[in-house]
Amino acid sequence: MQRISVLFATAALMLLAILNTAHAAGDPAAGREKSQTCAACHGEKGNTQNSMYPKLAGQHPSYLYNALKGYKSGTRENAVMNGQVSNLSEQDLRDLAAYYGGLEGGLHTLPLNNSGQ
Amino acid sequence: MRKRRASALAATLAGLMVAGAAHAEGDPQKGRYAAQTCLGCHGIPDQANVYPTYKVPKLGGQHSEYIVSALEAYRSGARPHPTMQAQARALTQQEIQDIAAYFASIDQPR
Repeated sequence: MQRISVLFATAALMLLAILNTAHAAGDPAAGREKSQTCAACHGEKGNTQNSMYPKLAGQHPSYLYNALKGYKSGTRENAVMNGQVSNLSEQDLRDLAAYYGGLEGGLHTLPLNNSGQ
Repeated sequence: MRKRRASALAATLAGLMVAGAAHAEGDPQKGRYAAQTCLGCHGIPDQANVYPTYKVPKLGGQHSEYIVSALEAYRSGARPHPTMQAQARALTQQEIQDIAAYFASIDQPR
């Protein structure tokens, strides 16, 4: 009996963990649907050629999500972005982050061997 | 004579334009040295920021004008992040331009 309840509890925890991850990761396909407004500045696939705006393609989804959260809460001030995200839901932010993070892009971690030459 | 004067003027103007552009765009070679401190976080793949937890952004290949505006926003406080605010406030405007030019010049995966 005790074993069964342990089993049950474990299964419940695993299910919660999976649901939680799915939520945290966002849905890239849904994000793509919601990304049309973003494309005006950030480029069709998040690879804008306009130097004023950041490339988003291939950026870490967790970073993108945190940036969007900051714009939404107002802790990160930007006249354009604060307005853009005001009507987006928590799930929208996660979906957009998942979409842009999953695109091919020209962003890289900085090389460490830059002290030479 | 008039031709020589005209070409001297043209050369001066061209020189000014190059100098102006160099300032506006920054010097990636100088930026490479000024960016040493950045590597502690932005040079480690999947390095995590804590509280809140997220991965620090990839900056290699990012647009220079955006990097300049990001550092300026940290400096003014418009963008929150105590460590980045401290970093940005320690930089001159020229160093910010140079670092941005260096980041933008990185086109190879590490």
